[in-house]
Amino acid sequence: MAEKAKGGLEAESKGLIVLSVILAIICIIWVLPMVAVVINSFKLNTFVKTETFALPTAESFAGWDNFIKGVTLGNYNFWLATWYSAFITIASSALILLFTSMAAWYIARVDSIFCKVVYFLCIFSMVVPFQMVMFTLSRTATQLHLDTPWTIPIIYLGFGAGLAIFMFVGFVKSIPLEIEEAAAIDGCSPVRTFFNVDVPMLRPTMISVGILEIMWVWNDYLLPYLVLDVEKYRTIPIFIQYLKGSYGTVDLGATMALILLAIIPVIVFYLCAQKYIIEGVAAGAVKG
Amino acid sequence: MAEVVLEHIEKIYPNTEPKKKKKPKKGQPAEPEKKSNLKITDEGVVAVEDFNLKVADREFVVLVGPSGCGKSTTLRMVAGLESITRGTLTIDGVEMNDVAPKDRDIAMVFQNYALYPHMTVRDNLAFPLKLRKVDPAEINKKVEEAAQILGITQFLDRKPKALSGGQRQRVAIGRAIVREPKVLLMDEPLSNLDAKLRNQMRAEIIKLRQRINTTFMYVTHDQTEAMTLGDRIVIMKDGIVQQIGTPQDVYDHPANIFVSGFIGVPQMNYFNADLKKDGDTYSVLVEGVTIELPEDKQQRLRENGVEAQPITLGARPEHVSIYDGKGDQSHMLSGVVDVSEMMGSEVHLHLNVDGQDVIVIVPTTDVNFTFEKGALDVGKTVKFTFSGAVVHLFSKETEENLEYKNQEQHTFDL
Repeated sequence: MAEKAKGGLEAESKGLIVLSVILAIICIIWVLPMVAVVINSFKLNTFVKTETFALPTAESFAGWDNFIKGVTLGNYNFWLATWYSAFITIASSALILLFTSMAAWYIARVDSIFCKVVYFLCIFSMVVPFQMVMFTLSRTATQLHLDTPWTIPIIYLGFGAGLAIFMFVGFVKSIPLEIEEAAAIDGCSPVRTFFNVDVPMLRPTMISVGILEIMWVWNDYLLPYLVLDVEKYRTIPIFIQYLKGSYGTVDLGATMALILLAIIPVIVFYLCAQKYIIEGVAAGAVKG
Repeated sequence: MAEVVLEHIEKIYPNTEPKKKKKPKKGQPAEPEKKSNLKITDEGVVAVEDFNLKVADREFVVLVGPSGCGKSTTLRMVAGLESITRGTLTIDGVEMNDVAPKDRDIAMVFQNYALYPHMTVRDNLAFPLKLRKVDPAEINKKVEEAAQILGITQFLDRKPKALSGGQRQRVAIGRAIVREPKVLLMDEPLSNLDAKLRNQMRAEIIKLRQRINTTFMYVTHDQTEAMTLGDRIVIMKDGIVQQIGTPQDVYDHPANIFVSGFIGVPQMNYFNADLKKDGDTYSVLVEGVTIELPEDKQQRLRENGVEAQPITLGARPEHVSIYDGKGDQSHMLSGVVDVSEMMGSEVHLHLNVDGQDVIVIVPTTDVNFTFEKGALDVGKTVKFTFSGAVVHLFSKETEENLEYKNQEQHTFDL
């Protein structure tokens, strides 16, 4: 009996080793492009194409030159593009978090056909690919004068609502109704109940949704490219796309450096916020 | 402190679309439909029917009944968490049917505590006062007072998740009493606690009641809680009030078989019997044994004009006495001991009387000293009887208590 159990354990640990190796390989494949970006952003342009995965040597090391070149190259101000990217990202995410959490609360708490229809429309919107609607969208956006960085968050709100509402509805349903009833008896109006009682409990979901939306909007290329007047307004992804020297040559070293600059804020934000995702805030509120 | 009056209160949940029946799998019989005993009308399912109750100022009223009997629904209607379909609810003479919960000046304690998880205990207690814009110094004083009463002062800066079940329930009660509501509603507040803690908290609620002068409405499915806490008990079944009375009243004079079975542990024993009438004198024939009834019972039966009829006779286990070998044994019933449960101070004997289970409570001292050794062991035949003064006579047809059938049992007010 004991031997059998021992044999079982051995088989299990062998299985774990195989699994670990497979996962490690997948991880390496996954991280490789990132590594390439980091390595190449410190290499001279000529070496990027020839020794893509080699570490910078004394000969190929470019120092901060690529970063300086990337920021100053081209006919558009990099910091202006950063400002537009930051504004669009923050405004869009804030709009999405505020409106979809309220909508999800209503959908989860009010049992009506209207709510069900809205909910299924939101889920349906998640399966419609952006490419299907992008041309009509860019035209409509121009007609409605939504083609500026100040108004594009409204379009992001529309596209981000599906996933956000889906995630929020799931969480709101797990909040016991009694807590809201207690708040109503204690003297809260429905709006106050939402902001004083539900929003603090929704924090982990808000942060999860926030991270997803921020990564999506910050990195998005197609939507701003189609909607905005790119001569006037460029976000960082568009700025990188237009990063060409004279005669259309592309400085790969500088491009890599800018890509690295562009992804750093998102990674920092993710690292700062991840502990809140794990935190189970509703623990201890009710029995169970 | 307030008087709560519920007049002809009804709650009807409108009919929803009939759910599609699941097709039974091949080779499997169709699932039987679950049937609820709640009345269904054209309007919908009647969860509470014609509920009348006047809760006096500072009274402690307990609503008790099995699950689905409408007790929580009634309490939630008083709280304003459920709309009232028909009838009038007044608190302190003011109609409250359409008043928002926050404006009713009530507080409620929930079964699952319903504390705000992101706030400390102190903030939880202070929250209702903050919403009412009470002066911060005053809030602090009241929170400290409430914490003192409930013994949670040392937990004030903790979050609910760091507390045990009993402590959390204390915080929930604290949040309810801190703003001195007119009516304190409690919806099965002890159901989530273990047996020992429940007994302890029950005693604390009794003490709390002595300290804060307010009107209590308490919902439970536990008859012990109802009996020990309530000034009056409202017993409900299938949305209908069965009886309203003091704990002693419902124990001594149950209105019908349901109430008699629900109140009292272990449950009352029932026998098929015949009510005989000889001129003006009633007697009961059970298992071939005639039981004489005392004069007060005779009087009540006469006043109600009860005719001779087959009846259900009820006798509480504590009122059944086992023949100890002394005196006349001609008027005794007999049964075989099936199970003997040692409870500590007493022994519960389950007797098999013609295939029917009859429970008898015998004090442990009697088992050891009054009876012969081994006389009450499993498998032994014992003789037992009960006095005519303590039996309950229920109509076979209506299940109502024949002695009280013409009295208004759905008492509006005592």
